[in-house]
Amino acid sequence: MVAGCQLALLAIFLGGWEYITSLDRQTAFLFGSPSAIFGFLKTMATDGSLARDTYVTALETLLGFLLGNLIGTLVGLSLWYSAFVSRVVQPFVVALGSIPIIALAPMVIIWFGTGLASKVAMSTLSVVVVALVTSYKGAMSVDPDQINLFRTLGARKSQIFRKLVVPSSLNDIFAGLKLTVGFALIGAIIGEFMSSSEGLGHAIFKAGSLYVIPKVFAALTATIALALVLTYLVGWLERLLKPWQPER
Amino acid sequence: MHQSGPGAAPPLVAERLAKTFDDGDVEVPVIADLSFTLNAGEIVSIVGPSGCGKTTLLNVVCGLTPASSGSVLWHGAAPQGMPGRVGYMLQKDMLLPWRTALSNVTLGMEIKGKVGMEERDKARVLLDRLGLHGFTDRYPATFSGGMRQRVALARTLVNDPEVLLFDEPFAALDFQTKLLLEADTVRLVREEGRSLLCITHDIEEAVSISDRVIVLTKRPTRAKAVYEIDLGDQHADMMEARQSPRFNDHVRAIWRDLEVSGT
Repeated sequence: MVAGCQLALLAIFLGGWEYITSLDRQTAFLFGSPSAIFGFLKTMATDGSLARDTYVTALETLLGFLLGNLIGTLVGLSLWYSAFVSRVVQPFVVALGSIPIIALAPMVIIWFGTGLASKVAMSTLSVVVVALVTSYKGAMSVDPDQINLFRTLGARKSQIFRKLVVPSSLNDIFAGLKLTVGFALIGAIIGEFMSSSEGLGHAIFKAGSLYVIPKVFAALTATIALALVLTYLVGWLERLLKPWQPER
Repeated sequence: MHQSGPGAAPPLVAERLAKTFDDGDVEVPVIADLSFTLNAGEIVSIVGPSGCGKTTLLNVVCGLTPASSGSVLWHGAAPQGMPGRVGYMLQKDMLLPWRTALSNVTLGMEIKGKVGMEERDKARVLLDRLGLHGFTDRYPATFSGGMRQRVALARTLVNDPEVLLFDEPFAALDFQTKLLLEADTVRLVREEGRSLLCITHDIEEAVSISDRVIVLTKRPTRAKAVYEIDLGDQHADMMEARQSPRFNDHVRAIWRDLEVSGT
């Protein structure tokens, strides 16, 4: 039922788009058309640039996603250990979180060059603060009664951390992972916009500057598909790591 | 098995306990002055008006919160940190959803560093005795409230605690489940010669399971009255205990005490 409605909605949207852009050449030039987009996707697929660009962007996104979440989650969880340290660093975390990542891009290019490293860095930066905040929130929302239970069983702080804080933060950590898939992708694309020779962001930027609107949409379609696949993978990982969740 | 011979100090003695919380610059006295003794093999209930600091009392007794004055003696000595061989059970079952029933029960042994075949078998036997046969390897998410609290009871008993501290563990259960669980608890506590200190606001529960009931005043808390409960030898069956003629007398007397202190 839901899937049917989603397909119908998509069909109406694409059909309307195709119809309107078929009326005159100017609209077709400005907004592309689904059939033209599909044509570009086919050419990009046959000349290998689609696979290559998608691979490059996927690699940048995945590395940034993993690195950002690893660093953010480790720091966020370990802040549980010390209420003092977490209060000291709080304003700095807020400050870092409020920086628009795009403002860092020129410097990141200077520091990391124009290759893979700068895109991974952009992607990591887009992810790390969100991962830190969500995992810290998870660690701090552990039920104090549950901590008391562990204490009455004689648990040391490191045992409480490993056996209670980390597993009970998994819900928030996975919420963060789902959120940061998109952020990681945006970071990688911004990096490619600034300076690059390949990647979906590069393809979008190049086609845009040449006014080849359908090609922009074609690369955008590949970007959306990439985001969907990555989000699906996170969901699959969550089901794998949390088998105790009842099936819904 | 336990030090219960003549002359041995009782497992738990509270002497002139007081607890005051610092709320900014205001001092909030919660427990004013409270003394009681829990002898080996005894079940003692503490009832009081809501908000009288029962949970604070329990946290002070088991060493989670330091007392402002007075002392808690376990076998005649004040322990450093957590007292040993104490089981603690709250209204919330606090089962870990990522652990199966069995590994929730073995949590305490795991923390102390040893979970082998023997420990797992012990946990399994206990779960069987509490009617959870066939559920040992399931996750608690699918359990009813009563089943969850049974797992929590097994988790408490598997560590062979000498003294059990209960903070209304049955309060959230329906009447029938509550009675069955009370009966199981009393049976398992008495069979093994353990002692139980049960904090509750349920007067009937207190009278039906206890040897002694201590009634508290409202904050700052003191002991208002102490009742020795004698229902004959019907202490094992919760329904029969409730039908004993003396049961109603005790309940009525305690009810009157609470009513007066509630106003």
